[in-house]
Amino acid sequence: MISKSIRPLHYFLFLALFLFHLNSVSSWKKEEFRNCNQTPFCKRARSRKPQHCNLTITDAIIKDGDFTSTLINPLKSQENPDQDSSDFVSNHLILSLSVYQDGILRLKIDEDPSESQSQPKKRFQVPDVILPEFESKKLWLQRYGNEVINGDSLPSYVVYLYDGYEAVVRSDPFEVFVREQSSGKKVMSLNSHGLFDFEQLRVKKEGDDWEERFRSHTDSRPYGPQSISFDVSFYGADFVYGIPEHATSLALKPTNGPGIEYSEPYRLFNLDVFEYLHESPFGLYGSIPFMLSHGKTHGASGFFWLNAAEMQIDVLGSGWDAESSIALPSNQKRIDTLWMSEAGIVDAFFFIGPKPKDVVKQYASVTGTSAMPQLFATGYHQCRWNYRDEEDVKNVDAKFDEYDIPYDVLWLDIEHTDGKRYFTWDKVLFPNPEEMQKDLASRGRRMVTIVDPHIKRDDNYHIHKEASKNGLYVKDATGKDYDGWCWPGSSSYIDMVNPDIRSWWADKLAYTEYVGSTPSLYIWNDMNEPSVFNGPEVTMPRDALHYGNVEHRELHNAYGYYFHMATSDGLLKREGGKDRPFVLSRAFFPGTQRYGTVWTGDNTAEWEQLRVSIPMILTLGLTGITFAGADVGGFFGNPDTELLVRWYQVAAYLPFFRGHAHHDTKRREPWLFGERNTELMRDAIRVRYTLLPYFYTLFREANVSGVPVVRPLWMEFPNDEATFNNDEAFVVGNGLLVQGVYTQHAKDVTIYLPKDQTWYDIRTGTAYKGGKTQKMEVTDADIPVFQRSGTIIPRKDRFRRSTVQMENDPYTLVIAVDNSGAAEGELYIDDGKSYEFKQGAYIHRRFIFSNGKLTSVNLATTSASSLGTKFLSDCTIERIILLGYSSKSKSARIEPSNHVTDVELGPLQIRSGARSSVLTIRKPNVRVSEDWTIQLL
Amino acid sequence: MKINTSILILISTLVLRSIASNNLLGIAPQDEKYYKGLWSSGMIKCKDGSKTFTKSQFNDDFCDCFDGSDEPGTSACPTGKFYCQNAGHSPVTIFSSRINDGICDCCDGSDEYGGQIRCKNTCWEAGKVARDMLMKKIATYQEGVAIRKREIEQAKISVANDEAELSKLKNEEKILKGIVQPLKEHKERIEKAVEKERVQKEIVEKQKKEAEESESKQLKVEEKVDGVEQPPANNNDDKSAILDNFPSDQHDVKEEEASKIENKGEVADKDIYSLSREDLGREIGSRWTGKKPEQQYHAVDDVKNDHEASNNVHDEENNGYDTETDDDHQHYDDDTDEHMDDVGDEANDEFDSSNTYEPDEEVDMSEAENIQKEYDEASTKLSKLQSKITRLTKKLGNDFGPEKEFYSLYGQCFESKQNKYVYKVCAFKQATQEEGYSTTRLGNWKKFDDSYNVMLFSNGDNCWNGPDRSLKVSLRCGLKVELADVDEPSRCEYAATLTTPALCLEGKLKELEAELEVLNSQLPEFHDEL
Repeated sequence: MISKSIRPLHYFLFLALFLFHLNSVSSWKKEEFRNCNQTPFCKRARSRKPQHCNLTITDAIIKDGDFTSTLINPLKSQENPDQDSSDFVSNHLILSLSVYQDGILRLKIDEDPSESQSQPKKRFQVPDVILPEFESKKLWLQRYGNEVINGDSLPSYVVYLYDGYEAVVRSDPFEVFVREQSSGKKVMSLNSHGLFDFEQLRVKKEGDDWEERFRSHTDSRPYGPQSISFDVSFYGADFVYGIPEHATSLALKPTNGPGIEYSEPYRLFNLDVFEYLHESPFGLYGSIPFMLSHGKTHGASGFFWLNAAEMQIDVLGSGWDAESSIALPSNQKRIDTLWMSEAGIVDAFFFIGPKPKDVVKQYASVTGTSAMPQLFATGYHQCRWNYRDEEDVKNVDAKFDEYDIPYDVLWLDIEHTDGKRYFTWDKVLFPNPEEMQKDLASRGRRMVTIVDPHIKRDDNYHIHKEASKNGLYVKDATGKDYDGWCWPGSSSYIDMVNPDIRSWWADKLAYTEYVGSTPSLYIWNDMNEPSVFNGPEVTMPRDALHYGNVEHRELHNAYGYYFHMATSDGLLKREGGKDRPFVLSRAFFPGTQRYGTVWTGDNTAEWEQLRVSIPMILTLGLTGITFAGADVGGFFGNPDTELLVRWYQVAAYLPFFRGHAHHDTKRREPWLFGERNTELMRDAIRVRYTLLPYFYTLFREANVSGVPVVRPLWMEFPNDEATFNNDEAFVVGNGLLVQGVYTQHAKDVTIYLPKDQTWYDIRTGTAYKGGKTQKMEVTDADIPVFQRSGTIIPRKDRFRRSTVQMENDPYTLVIAVDNSGAAEGELYIDDGKSYEFKQGAYIHRRFIFSNGKLTSVNLATTSASSLGTKFLSDCTIERIILLGYSSKSKSARIEPSNHVTDVELGPLQIRSGARSSVLTIRKPNVRVSEDWTIQLL
Repeated sequence: MKINTSILILISTLVLRSIASNNLLGIAPQDEKYYKGLWSSGMIKCKDGSKTFTKSQFNDDFCDCFDGSDEPGTSACPTGKFYCQNAGHSPVTIFSSRINDGICDCCDGSDEYGGQIRCKNTCWEAGKVARDMLMKKIATYQEGVAIRKREIEQAKISVANDEAELSKLKNEEKILKGIVQPLKEHKERIEKAVEKERVQKEIVEKQKKEAEESESKQLKVEEKVDGVEQPPANNNDDKSAILDNFPSDQHDVKEEEASKIENKGEVADKDIYSLSREDLGREIGSRWTGKKPEQQYHAVDDVKNDHEASNNVHDEENNGYDTETDDDHQHYDDDTDEHMDDVGDEANDEFDSSNTYEPDEEVDMSEAENIQKEYDEASTKLSKLQSKITRLTKKLGNDFGPEKEFYSLYGQCFESKQNKYVYKVCAFKQATQEEGYSTTRLGNWKKFDDSYNVMLFSNGDNCWNGPDRSLKVSLRCGLKVELADVDEPSRCEYAATLTTPALCLEGKLKELEAELEVLNSQLPEFHDEL
């Protein structure tokens, strides 16, 4: 009788708990993060009106190849301690301009170092980001020209920047801009709207209240206001892009201006955001203050501000400055932006473009290109929080083989450790980690374990013991080891800003130190924003202190970068510099591309999140980090099967390809959804593996030039306006256009194929003319992917367990000819793991097809091969497919071997139900390492 | 056949890259017929009929047939299958992706002829191990089949006994009802008379009292009465209200409980300010882990304990094992409602005031007591009898398998200890996970699945941010009933295996014996030759 009434109650309670929980997880905790109005420096900067800046230029000289001058305020009102205005700037600022090869202008503005003794501290300049060799690209300026602009009262200064480009420092009103020499048209400018403001450090006076409070946290702000803000304009620009990481569109929407719904600025502040939204300017795990613009008239340009403090950036809608008296020539389209940072200095780079690829190359020459990944890292990764124990690992691995699905890496999340003490193993769940890794390695598979920067404060934990004894932790404002809260509970954070501490950390990855690690084990750095569960905005207090007495506020956005760097260096060290590291990081900063891979963090199993992963990854590629991906399936929540399949189908074409899931979700390995869906996911993964030779070649291109592996359409088609804000499709290299399917039960998708090209459906070979938007039918089997005419794409069509077993497999070349019957493509091969390619141990071929003849040309530089090491490969080409080439040829002659092989109709992809519809050169069996020609007869 | 095999092994170890000469590579015996045409005519159709291929295109390391039929011995076709003879062990068909991939997949090494790796022929050793295991398995099955037979016999007898018992009980019930009913009517008459007296007395007293009260308080009361005297039924704490489950009443309780839990589960936003730094860290971290800080656990535990407590009550009532699940209990209630409204200490003296009674009849109290006693004894007996009937009916309502081979599992629980947990599976009832004093229900008995190869338990305790717990028990042949391999492959979805003779099927035994026979017949003398 009693239970009769309790039972429904009992269930109701569970239901209530469950519903409540659903509710709690579906909402992003907006109020736990500061918005611009709650962030004094942002609020001040945003409320300023144009022509606020009163600074002018004096004392210009050329010194050490730089243009140097002083910025002063002629109206300076002495001793006005009003912190809400720059009026109190009583000192002056030093401005310098440097010019670098390939169209790069660097602008620095800082306090006068000669007055450093009177300053409370030195402002922070981010070290270790700019490539050491960048300095060698400096053009030593010899002179400047003078020019009076618009009848200004003071003359302005003009210096050479690049062929056809000049940099101008306007004296009064103060402005810096880049212009085309011949037309005088501006390309980019800073402070054209007079929003420049530089809060100089000063000594705290009686009565100054510098503290800032947010929720339960107080920031002591011992150095007071020190923010910097200014406006930057891009001329001839239709759109601006970049400044990750935000879950938003590729082309950045305006955040302020008439007719624009109230929006926060784009925030750059590395944060661990629980369940981020798919359409928001809110700052996520990483920050790159680099913005690109692109437009029909000028082309592309870029602006990069090297600063690691919290930054907020407004993209201003046209007419935002309507009240301003200065009108710019109306014939020039322009996008204005407002940049605001809490601390640091102005260290800004202008990249003149003018082509999109020029801009990314210019940015790469400052911050570096992406590291060459190991081949295995470009395959498929299987992760879950958590593969529970060794048996689980064994079973998952075995299932991949049972279902003949290739994969390269199995991942272990935090639960593999002994109580979240990194570099340890749970002795019950993982008693024999070395054996487990060796077993995986026997089938060519690697393992990745997680190592986070929070260290459990446990005196029996060797890392903590050493770190606390030797003072390796970040300190709190009072100078004690900062004590925060993360997975292990009470935790401290290694001060990775110190190079000696990084080196100490790197040594922890040695096989002897990391007990249970083997050469097939690589690392994942999570929570390195850093995530601090009980800190303000789930991160470290801004007044925490780092090496060199640098406040956390000054370098917050770079913390994760230094941690990533130290871990990557550790993997390099453990193999004596011979093995390319693989480290995945969630936080990032400019330069991260040199150390490893990035993913878009804790996304959610929703269609909109699948859609937004494309612009997020494209944006990372534009800003240097091409080796990026999103968790396949979505981290939080359970994707429905169709979403999961669609996710695999798109993600197979994105650089970093990993399935991952939260521990509360149902298992979702590819074989768990019935035969048909297993087949679809296997197909998607296999497509990736067949294209690995192409991907690897593109990774090499990115490694050499900085051009990303996957690109927005406008990067390849900069004159095709219809592509400028397309972020549903992307191109892999220059050859494959991929259109994802982002809606449920889609029967067709709308696709824009860029103009002046023919596009070949990679499954059927059907040709489509570009230049229009078309509706195409889709089935569940795959997503629309097209090969662009004029390209040659190398494939390996044999399926294996992992990349390791593919090494000796023969290649297939797919040639899609353009309207003149010609095509070109490249193939890069090396040992896939070591640095011997730097000594020339690689094969790099260009395939050129024209007039019915395919030629393989060596692209490896002779200087490289003369270094002595050589990479050998016996690999041959087993099949050559011709798309769009009509010929009645029945055979082809191969030179120099002078043998004839058959030409027939074959399938474009070998699968049951395929049609033999494309011209195929059968078994040419030429070696990829050699020069040869194949002539259709 | 034997000759082919030995040649094949020789070839695969000696001839490295030349594939064309090795025509039979990878062909399964059942396909030999299909390829015969190729040898005779020099050209055949692919199996799927899509194309034709010639002798020179056969195993030439270039895929011509999309179904892989021209390349049984190479990796050229993605859909291809490779047959390893594995003399001395069982033959295996492997994916074409395994051919010459540097990993020995066939124990005879025939998949690795490319020279990347030398595979030792391990078929003899592996085969011996496999045969030994197979023989052991057969022995188990042989014994198991016998046990199973006995158990089925036994089950049939037991079921028959149960059924006989049931019909006997039902007869008794009928008789007993015949006794109880007149007693009941008699008793009611007496009670009504007594009640009438009481009511009349009350009326008199009440009138007296009202007269007094109306003197002391006047206007105020009347106003209040309107507000207070019409309370929604939920303020009625009369026993009958609880038993009758006034919906509104329950609703409120539930809501109150729910909101209490909500507050515990997620610290309300304002509360975040007041948390200690440690608790704040825990609170924020719990979003990812779903592990709610302590208080939450208590909330869940309380509910669970209540539930268990109620179960325990039933346990006592029902003498041990046969804990009625709530559903049964419901059933039991219905019975009582129908037949024994007035029985037991929870009896609800629910009168219909319009019932006629005889005001003139004097109530003889000693008769009343006797009738009451008689009635109580009889109805208690009836109620015990009926609960026996319910239990037995329910038992017999279970699906004991097509041959009642699972009958012997009824009423039994099986435990398996893993680390700190004790898993307990009670067939036809429920499954739990125990840690110290706390018990988590993994599920209630649902049904057999997968043609009696699996037991399903579902609707267990709910998981945070997850499903209700459930357990899938895979059944295997074994001589003893033993629970093993408890696992949680997906969060809150448990799996385990249970060995039982019930799964030792004769048909399967024959299969195993046939398998062994094949293996033994393939045991070649040539192993000694090599």
